[in-house]
Amino acid sequence: MTTTPETDPGPIRQSARAKRATRIADAAAGGWKIVAIKILGLGVVDAIAIYALFVLVRSESWLVAGLVVAVTLLVNWIYFSRGKLPAKYLAPGLIFLAIFQIFVLLYSGYIAFTNYGTGHNSTKADAVNSLLLSSQNRVADSPNYRLTVLEQLGEISFLVTEPDGSVSIGGEERPLKEVNNAQLEGDVAVGLAGYTSLGFQDILGRQSAIAAISVPLTDDPNDGMLRTPDGSSAFLYTSSLDYDEAAGTMRDKNSGITYSDIGTGAFTSDNGQELLPGWKIEVGLDNFVRAFTEESIRGPLISVTVWTFAFAFLSVFTTFALGLFLAIVFNDKRMKSRKYYRIIMILPYAFPGFLSALVWAGMMNQEFGFINTVLLGGAEVPWLTNEWLAKGSVLFVNLWLGFPYMFLVTTGALQAIPEELTEAATVDGAKPWAIFRFVKLPLLLVSVAPLLISSFAFNFNNFNLIYMLTNGGPRDVSAGVNVGATDILISMVYKVAFVGANRDYGLASAFAIIIFILVAGIAIISFRRTKSLEELN
Amino acid sequence: MTTTTQEQKSDAAVSPPAAVGHPRRSFKRWARETGWRHIIGVIMSIFAAFPLLYVFSASLNPGGTLVTANSLFSSFNFGSYVDLFNRPQQPYAAWFGNTLLIGGISSLGTVFLGALAAYAFSRMRFIGRRVGLLTLLLVQMFPQLLAVVAIFLLLSGISEIFPAIGLNSQIGLIMVYLGGALGVNTYLMYGFFNTVPSSIDEAAKIDGAGHARIFFTIILRLVAPILAVVGLLSFVGTTSEFVIASIVLIDPDKQTLAVGLYQFVSQEFSRNWSIFAAGAVLAAIPVMTLFLFLQKYIVGGLTAGSVK
Amino acid sequence: MRVNNKGLWAVGALTVTASLALTGCTAASDTADNGAGTGEALTVWVDADRAAVLKDAAADFTAETGVEVKLVQKEFGDIRDQFIAQVPTGKGPDVVIGAHDWLGTFVTNGVVAPVELGDKADAFQDVGITAMSYEGQVYGVPYSIENIALVRNTALAPSTPATFDEMVTMGKAAGTEYPFLVGLDPEAADPYHLYPFQTSFGAPVFGTAADGSYDADALEIGNAGGDKFAAWLAAQGAAGVLNTNITGDLAKEKFIAGESPFYLTGPWNVPAAVEAGIDVAIDPIPSAGGETAQPFVGVQGFFVSSKSENALAANEFIVNYMGSEEVQTALFEVGGRAPALTASFEAASADPIVAGFGAVGENAVPMPSIPAMGAVWEFWGVTEAAIINGGDATSLWQKMSGDIETAIAG
Repeated sequence: MTTTPETDPGPIRQSARAKRATRIADAAAGGWKIVAIKILGLGVVDAIAIYALFVLVRSESWLVAGLVVAVTLLVNWIYFSRGKLPAKYLAPGLIFLAIFQIFVLLYSGYIAFTNYGTGHNSTKADAVNSLLLSSQNRVADSPNYRLTVLEQLGEISFLVTEPDGSVSIGGEERPLKEVNNAQLEGDVAVGLAGYTSLGFQDILGRQSAIAAISVPLTDDPNDGMLRTPDGSSAFLYTSSLDYDEAAGTMRDKNSGITYSDIGTGAFTSDNGQELLPGWKIEVGLDNFVRAFTEESIRGPLISVTVWTFAFAFLSVFTTFALGLFLAIVFNDKRMKSRKYYRIIMILPYAFPGFLSALVWAGMMNQEFGFINTVLLGGAEVPWLTNEWLAKGSVLFVNLWLGFPYMFLVTTGALQAIPEELTEAATVDGAKPWAIFRFVKLPLLLVSVAPLLISSFAFNFNNFNLIYMLTNGGPRDVSAGVNVGATDILISMVYKVAFVGANRDYGLASAFAIIIFILVAGIAIISFRRTKSLEELN
Repeated sequence: MTTTTQEQKSDAAVSPPAAVGHPRRSFKRWARETGWRHIIGVIMSIFAAFPLLYVFSASLNPGGTLVTANSLFSSFNFGSYVDLFNRPQQPYAAWFGNTLLIGGISSLGTVFLGALAAYAFSRMRFIGRRVGLLTLLLVQMFPQLLAVVAIFLLLSGISEIFPAIGLNSQIGLIMVYLGGALGVNTYLMYGFFNTVPSSIDEAAKIDGAGHARIFFTIILRLVAPILAVVGLLSFVGTTSEFVIASIVLIDPDKQTLAVGLYQFVSQEFSRNWSIFAAGAVLAAIPVMTLFLFLQKYIVGGLTAGSVK
Repeated sequence: MRVNNKGLWAVGALTVTASLALTGCTAASDTADNGAGTGEALTVWVDADRAAVLKDAAADFTAETGVEVKLVQKEFGDIRDQFIAQVPTGKGPDVVIGAHDWLGTFVTNGVVAPVELGDKADAFQDVGITAMSYEGQVYGVPYSIENIALVRNTALAPSTPATFDEMVTMGKAAGTEYPFLVGLDPEAADPYHLYPFQTSFGAPVFGTAADGSYDADALEIGNAGGDKFAAWLAAQGAAGVLNTNITGDLAKEKFIAGESPFYLTGPWNVPAAVEAGIDVAIDPIPSAGGETAQPFVGVQGFFVSSKSENALAANEFIVNYMGSEEVQTALFEVGGRAPALTASFEAASADPIVAGFGAVGENAVPMPSIPAMGAVWEFWGVTEAAIINGGDATSLWQKMSGDIETAIAG
């Protein structure tokens, strides 16, 4: 515990030669194996890193490549140098933690400072592209031009046969002009001297380029452009939007309104109308300001917060109390067939949670549910539709879902309490309850207090249960807000940020951060208070 | 040490063969010592299992719904169980195998990574130890509302370099699960590691054993109960995890039970409760089996392990 | 407690953490810039039900064009959000199956590209094309059209009721436990199933603009007809004809058990009833308020991603393969949803059930796909449930109308 054997051979005090010899041989043997495993493991890590570097350098992602080098060197350094024991034990877990949890956390944090959400989910280039695509309207009653795609010196041209049989050729920024020497197949032109006709395979090979081509019908762009959706026919389109790349503005040709980029992540007209889709931008603290001023949040905030705390606390308390009670009851070696009871009690935990919630919702149906019709002989108790009963039902179902976890954990933790303590107390004449209260419980709490805190945090954000069982309801429709009696903070956030089809990830992340700060604060305070417990050991 | 030997031993030691010699006294004693425990056991078993009887009943009634179950077991038809394995678009058998594989590897990995970290936290003193412990717990308290978006971006980034461990790969999913290996699990183990007297390590150290040796050959054995608990918790956690798995695993052949099962009831307007229920019943079997297998470690107690 | 180089360890851990997080960030943003990697295979998202049919069509397509089609099975309900989230990263699919009422969100997010049906547009039923259009532009190839209708158990009720009241009378005369069944949610009723009754009072959700599309500024739900509908809901709730405790599953269950002659539902629940040996007839939805009862029609179809690098192949696939009579008929045969292609629909109409739903569908209106509809769903169902369960009809309905208006104004 105090030191590492490699660096400090101090404690070795016995001097019997034979013993020392065995010990050295022993250590050497163990050391040899460990070194082999170490080298093998690091070899694999390094090989992966070198491969990654190869790929990254080829794709010129220098920053990532640099980070891979740094991390690989660090890992090698940790394991090849002497000492640094804690790092040796912690590094594997921490690496996974950093990649898959810290990243997620940082990413959510970053999202909170953007306007990411419906209508703002990509780059400006994507938005422009998408707006222009959608603004292409087929000219009414225009014909279907049969098309052959031609290539000459890498340049693509469209050879179109008009319905009247005339054949023309054109390309990007080269208006159609009639040709009369085309090779015909039936009445469709399929080739032209000096050009290569592209087959369907060739077209597919260059489809992005071909799909992007628009061939002006005449010198006047207002007459429309020919575009092809499939490489074998072309249609005449006019665009209702005009993008001025230099000025960064969109102009609606029909109404004459100009929409410009005013830094809000969408093209906006002078009177404030936005063209959607827009794009993702960083908005600073806007989301946090909104989170605190959002009207639909402020109204029910107090009641929802109180209920969230009550729900999380009561959930932990009830599941822990029941789980601990059962763990103690079934921790008696004299009892036969404990093993079967234990297995049955673990059942709620082994079934998929959403299935359980559905079953409970069915069993709690006011008129047809099992609880009312069979257990209560036809009573119509509104388990899920009365405000207070619904709160009780949610807690009850959560107890059912959660007690096996606590049962399992406390059963495990009880094993850590040495028998001798109980025996000693019994010899001293302590009653079972006193033994439990003054010997077992304090010891147990030392090991499970962090789990209780984490369980509190989990239930504080237990979105799934609420969503599946009641979806926050019952709702008071006369209140005019989309928040119900069993809504907890996180489910309210979900409703506010993801209203209908609109998803405001930026706002949701800002809320997530606020809730995180709240829960983390509580956790830290709780830890301060349980610190004394920790010192017991 | 198995449960049977325990029971035999305790029978011999505590209660002389019941019922035969002095029926009345024995029964009283039995009732006081263990009888009431059985009553609680029966009550709790009903509480725990009853809602699931619904599910089982529904699985035996092809074409029925979950609400039919008010008349439990009105039909005994195993058609849904047969049907479950005969759906080319919904390869249940493959899902089952994947779940065992992913759950098994993830929980082994979680136990290993968690135990390494718990050992460091319990036996070593270093700067940032307290803060580190606290941070592990705090990280997991972040509301996971956006986890899906971030994980998708991350794995698609990894896919660019290593397609084999990125999106649509089971290894990728296992790695995501291992990201949560520390945290609560570390705490659970940390608490338990602390109860192992450090005199044991020191004795071994005096014998010249290295830290790795002490950890692998002595400590891990002593903390077997908690390793079993964490392994089970992690196995249950990964097998029932649904949201991340449905983003990462794309091909039906690679999916897990939780993702696949949901398909049976998420089909708009054509929910198939009976098959879903049958699938869920079978899906609970691995967890039950694992628990049955691990129980002897979980309740074996310290004394069982520390002897040798 | 001594350990070597403890400071270094802390720094090390911090560096690993920070650098790996950055690795992730950078890698992710790279992805977003690079766009879709493969220009070879066409990635198509479908749900499990339809994957089997598409497999054959995809094989034909590959044989003919040499383009590989990769079918990815997704939960139908997950497709919308995942498509919106993944298209901008460039990792999304080329083609997805979806419902027409997702279109508004798709267009607002810029994730779908317009589809040129060319001359094929005429081959589809009009309502299918209308539903797949948004602001005058067609974005999808419709493949199925479905709506609800009144399903009648002919053994219990021999003739078609003309009005709602007549139906209830006939239902009571049949002596079954329930005169009429419709699945509702205890918390949120079911505006979709109750909508035909609402329209029969002359209270659609939105008014329509000149081109027939819904106008978000013209909210009609709170008009005089709406109040009458609300009063009707209250009366039916009090009489027990509408019961929010009868969920969708229960309603199906009870109809199959022969406990009611009438069941308001869609084609998806009919096969179970037929299998149970019930002889069903499909009737028009009886009017409750005097005007024609117009149900919502839901159209499903295929959309192309705006960032697809296989735009031509994707278009070819959905217009000429998914839009072909062969595939539309095959899709009908597996899912039982009426085809959107007129020729396939006519063939399918040999089945009286399809024909029956089709006839009802002639009066149907597409479910609005405009984003403002989100605000409507938020308040609609819960208000209906509250009224059915004895709330004050007029004030709740007006309150709802006002709340929706506020929500749309944002």
